[in-house]
Amino acid sequence: MISRLRQRFRQLPDQVLRSSLWRSIFRQGYPDTDENRVLVVMNSFFLHFHPVKVKANTLRSTYTFGLGLISLFLFIILVVGGAVLTFLYLPTTDRAYIFIQELHTSVPFGALLRNSHRWAAHLMVLAVFLHMARVFYTGGYKHPREFNWVIGVLLLVITFLLSFTGYLLVWDQLSFWAITVGTNMAGATPFIGEQVRGFLLGAEEVGGEALLRFYVLHIVLLPSLLALLLGVHFWRIRKDGGLSAPAPVEEETK
Amino acid sequence: MKAGDEFSPQRPGKDYGLVAVMGRTTPMVDKGPEGTLPSWPHLFVREALLFLGISALLLLMSILISAPLREAANPNMSENPAKAPWYFLNLQELLLHMNPALAGVIVPTIALIFLMTIPYIDRSLKDVGVWFSGHKGKLIALWSTAYTVPLLIGLIVFNEYIRVRSFISEPEIIPGWIIPIGIMGLLSVGLYAIIRPLRPNTREVLTAYFTAFVVTWFLLTIIGTFFRGLGMHLTLPWDLPPGALSF
Repeated sequence: MISRLRQRFRQLPDQVLRSSLWRSIFRQGYPDTDENRVLVVMNSFFLHFHPVKVKANTLRSTYTFGLGLISLFLFIILVVGGAVLTFLYLPTTDRAYIFIQELHTSVPFGALLRNSHRWAAHLMVLAVFLHMARVFYTGGYKHPREFNWVIGVLLLVITFLLSFTGYLLVWDQLSFWAITVGTNMAGATPFIGEQVRGFLLGAEEVGGEALLRFYVLHIVLLPSLLALLLGVHFWRIRKDGGLSAPAPVEEETK
Repeated sequence: MKAGDEFSPQRPGKDYGLVAVMGRTTPMVDKGPEGTLPSWPHLFVREALLFLGISALLLLMSILISAPLREAANPNMSENPAKAPWYFLNLQELLLHMNPALAGVIVPTIALIFLMTIPYIDRSLKDVGVWFSGHKGKLIALWSTAYTVPLLIGLIVFNEYIRVRSFISEPEIIPGWIIPIGIMGLLSVGLYAIIRPLRPNTREVLTAYFTAFVVTWFLLTIIGTFFRGLGMHLTLPWDLPPGALSF
């Protein structure tokens, strides 16, 4: 009796992997054969932008330090956590600050939510910057990856802007004066400074108009733009033959 | 017979082969011994672990350190020091030494243009995938750091305690534009001069300038964050007024 049960139990994973329900979702068995390891990448939406095989060299942790992936993961965490925050937040001068206070006092896990959003944002700026440095120092920008490097620089700029627009939403003294300083810098643009500053703030000074603008930029426009360029960034990595790696036996001629 | 004939008899010149569309082979063709591993499990395990690690680190950080929350925004009561977010403090640091248009807009724009043009300046295909492109590149990066750090600190300390404007404050164009542009130009030329004896190639010259950029970015950020107190004057980190850290 016991031994039969045990045998059933042992066969269970195999049966699950062969079941029509499993196959309808994953389409292939467990990826422990070469064929299934190919299929698992090809058949999965979430894995399909990976190559089926990767260069061993690019897997070394001291080659990439995982900085691009870390940036991506932080962005995902920021989007998910940020979405939860938007359920509670209102971008008005009389409500914004009270909401942040409530996060610390009355919302379950509110402080955790806010802290993780903040620290992830800071870490993402750092990770993206270091990722850029890594790509430079390993020569990853070279042909045919020139334009992907340019997209990367744009992604860095958008990361700065995302962090900057989010900074105001807290609506405390720190954020108010930081954005005042920041937009004053933009206001120093030669010839069109006043217009640039007015465009950012929607008014003469940092106030309700700026809060609304920064909010919309922060939760809709900039994340969408970042996600779009991120898609192009990853797509081009694949098209250019994966991450950069030491030259093959013979050098490619131009 | 052309490859496309059977598909497009009306236009015999037309070629539907993928090779013709691309005009080249796929990126991995003829790339020597492969040295590849299946993504499952080698890449995916690493990705999953990295994600778990990042999540754990973030969770720990968020439990231990609370994000700052000051009093509600009050346009009538300015903060002292009023600091931008930390990643813009490098620009705010420049603001103390030159005209705002130069510090806040022109210099960062030039820096971004420099970054974006790097791959179009360095067209060589050599040394991809090697950190610093080898020993010489590393040496040049170190040279560049050793050159940049003391000069920047020296300039900042000079402008804090002796002050350019104590010699010339009028007209504004001299301390605001001419002197800072002159100094930045001289520093750039000087950097090339000190690495020139090493006979650098394009990549190595770029390594020197990129390193100078990265080092400057971090150094000015650190100074702006930890060494600027009341009135944005130089202060030691432990003497900072409460709330001067702009995280």
